[in-house]
Amino acid sequence: MKSLSQYLQVWLASAKYSLVRATMFRGDLFIWASVELLWISVNVIMVGVIYSHTPTVAGWSMYQMLLLVGTSMLIQRFLMGFFWSGIFEMGRNVRTGLFDFILAQPGDPLFMASTRKLELDGLLNSLVAMGLVAYSARKLGLHPGLLDLGYYGFMVACGVMIHFSFLVMAVSLAFWITSAQGVEGSYFTLMEFSRLPKQAFSGLASVIFVWILPVVVVSNAPANEILHGFNRDWMLGLCAATIVWFALAVLVFRSGLKRYTSASS
Amino acid sequence: MTKYGQAFLAGLQSNLVYRWNFGVRSIFWFFHLAVVYILWGAAYAANPTIGGYTFAQTLTYFVVIFVLQFFIGAFNEDYQISEDIRNGLINQFLLKPIHYYGYRLSVFAAARVVSGAFGIVALLVALPIFRGYIVIPHDWTLIALSIPAMCLTAIIQFSIAYCFGLLAFWFLEIQGFVILSMAVETLLGGQIVPLDLLPPAVFNVIRFLPFFYQAYFPAAILTGRKGVDFALQGLAIQAFWAFVLVCLAEFVWRKGLKHHTAAGG
Repeated sequence: MKSLSQYLQVWLASAKYSLVRATMFRGDLFIWASVELLWISVNVIMVGVIYSHTPTVAGWSMYQMLLLVGTSMLIQRFLMGFFWSGIFEMGRNVRTGLFDFILAQPGDPLFMASTRKLELDGLLNSLVAMGLVAYSARKLGLHPGLLDLGYYGFMVACGVMIHFSFLVMAVSLAFWITSAQGVEGSYFTLMEFSRLPKQAFSGLASVIFVWILPVVVVSNAPANEILHGFNRDWMLGLCAATIVWFALAVLVFRSGLKRYTSASS
Repeated sequence: MTKYGQAFLAGLQSNLVYRWNFGVRSIFWFFHLAVVYILWGAAYAANPTIGGYTFAQTLTYFVVIFVLQFFIGAFNEDYQISEDIRNGLINQFLLKPIHYYGYRLSVFAAARVVSGAFGIVALLVALPIFRGYIVIPHDWTLIALSIPAMCLTAIIQFSIAYCFGLLAFWFLEIQGFVILSMAVETLLGGQIVPLDLLPPAVFNVIRFLPFFYQAYFPAAILTGRKGVDFALQGLAIQAFWAFVLVCLAEFVWRKGLKHHTAAGG
């Protein structure tokens, strides 16, 4: 059993390698950073267009909605920055048999596969998402204290873990269905819900997307922390969802791993 | 049967292998539609019309946009073309009496037949659920005009993807360019918001860009958001862009071949 410090050393070595690599391919870094920035802009424009025709959506003003979108983007940028490349390649490697390389490494396969690469462009754009949150909060006249910001940060981290868990489960499908290319994209579809306020959901949609799938809670909980202050129910709900979804992801991944039959599969 | 007919049949077979992909996509199509329904439903809650359109008209627009993507949208043709170049598979086309654009267009058409079938199934499932919110198009002149518009849209979508795929002659990694372009196309193609909700000055500029004809234009005609005069003018501009993009595709192909080194056996 590896100790936490050993895993930290492995992660730091991977992070260092990724950063050196990113600075070697500066053009690539610029393009991917532009891609991420453009997608953030697309979402902001969408909000702008909708609010040019209506003052509120589900009781949320434009800047409240932008704060929510910024929070959702922040979570997604962190996921892209820390885990996306590793998890994305995992699906491809399972299909081609290159996953052997991960299994041969001295550590937990899920950790080794998902933390192999750090994407600087995603992390750079997390600053843009943070800027959007800060700008929206300023426009709303909000001045959250240090404790609120601490809770917000913790909730964002929980959100990243829930996104991570969902993505791992989606990619783990490759262990069962080797021809299911591109299922990673389903993550983006499902996470579109995280840019919507909870109040917009009702009936069956509320049951599915708010209570069964935590796609709405991940962004609404931290956004509400900044907008309305600490709420114990949101915090407990998010913590519970994080634990449950992470445990499910590990379970699915390990079940899939048992089916992996190397390059000959 | 012509060589392109054979390429179509081969494409049909290879795309049927990846039927899971299309199946998963059509399932997630419902999630896309659910996001649209929830977001726009919340926006319309306090407004009977937005930009002069009812909720049903807006929802119908998005349903048509999504279904069109199954039938005429380019999915991963750019990636396939770049892989052909990167792996050297392109060399076989240089020795055979078949034009690569024609071959790829045939495979694209085959892929759309398969994904279109899934699109129809998804639509048949969605129609009863959203029955009260769908405005069935009834203007036969506009329906007739939408047919050439859809054909030209397919050519525009494919040619843009083809040009991006050919960038692999110059760049090792083209995914950044592709996703950058996708963000622009998604926004300016009207997949995020109906373009007629944009300020008129912006709309009048965008309508002269090729992106306008990638999704919004056929959907706007089919759903009756725009009249016959607009459709006829648009068809002329669309035909111009289709011609320009086919010429551009040929130009990039020839330039790329000069840059290409067919190494190995």
